[in-house]
Amino acid sequence: MRSLLRQGVLLLCLALLPAAGEALYFRDRISWHSRVAESEMVAVDLARNWGASAIWVDARPDADFERDHVPGAISLNEDRWNELLPQFLQQQWSPEKKVVVYCSSQSCNLAGDVARRLREEAKLPNDIRVLKGGWEEWLRTRK
Amino acid sequence: MKFAWRIVGVLVGAVFVFASLTKIVDFQPVRFGSPIVFARDIVIGLQHLRFADPMDFARDIDNYKILPWALGVQLAFYLPWLEIICGLALIFRRLYSGALALALALMLVFIGGSIAAKARGIDITCGCFGHISDQLSFAWHMVLDFAIVAGVIALWRWDGENPRVTERASR
Repeated sequence: MRSLLRQGVLLLCLALLPAAGEALYFRDRISWHSRVAESEMVAVDLARNWGASAIWVDARPDADFERDHVPGAISLNEDRWNELLPQFLQQQWSPEKKVVVYCSSQSCNLAGDVARRLREEAKLPNDIRVLKGGWEEWLRTRK
Repeated sequence: MKFAWRIVGVLVGAVFVFASLTKIVDFQPVRFGSPIVFARDIVIGLQHLRFADPMDFARDIDNYKILPWALGVQLAFYLPWLEIICGLALIFRRLYSGALALALALMLVFIGGSIAAKARGIDITCGCFGHISDQLSFAWHMVLDFAIVAGVIALWRWDGENPRVTERASR
């Protein structure tokens, strides 16, 4: 039993070395506070000030979008990604505009995931940001 | 019989090494159309070999909604290397009992997390082989995971009945 523990601890320690090396290698790309890096987020006030130079993308499910959404926002969620993305690209998208993606709150992941897919899959060259605090923050600051 | 168990050990170890590589290395997609296309894709893939973005695995861990984000990030760096070290230990029979115990613990935690996520209605497509196994259903993920657990337990039992082999392998 002691030998088993000793071996287990040794293996656990061995794995620390390359993990620490990799963490050092990627130190500039680690986001410790949220799954979306701070540089990829935008505060509601700043996003509002962008006015017509920003396209608002609602990443929430259809039902939430239909209930209410940011004025002028278009729905682009992962449930109907293949259907909504071409519509977005044909009707709303412009290479010069910033894109602000939001979901329900700070803790939801949908906006971050949609923003990443727009960058990596759709390969949009735009400045794509995730709205800090999401729809909840939009509502709070609107009042 | 002993040889057959060695093969099982190498296979289980290889599964762990493969599972870890899917998280550490950014694999280029490979087409299986013809041997020439396949070979060309492999060569191109090797030329463009690079680290996978650990944030992707951190997001996969975060999808389970069990751990705080910061801890998930730390695990995203650590777990793949623990898997690869356990896998290599199983293949080369070094620190063997410890590797078996850790492999079993990793699998049980992973299966427990997957079942807990499923029970809470979280749809997780990423299994222990990263996004390579995205196409598999939850049921198939479970079949694969339990098969690995069965392999590890069988190896452990066989080693328990053959302590001299374990003793040698631990050196």
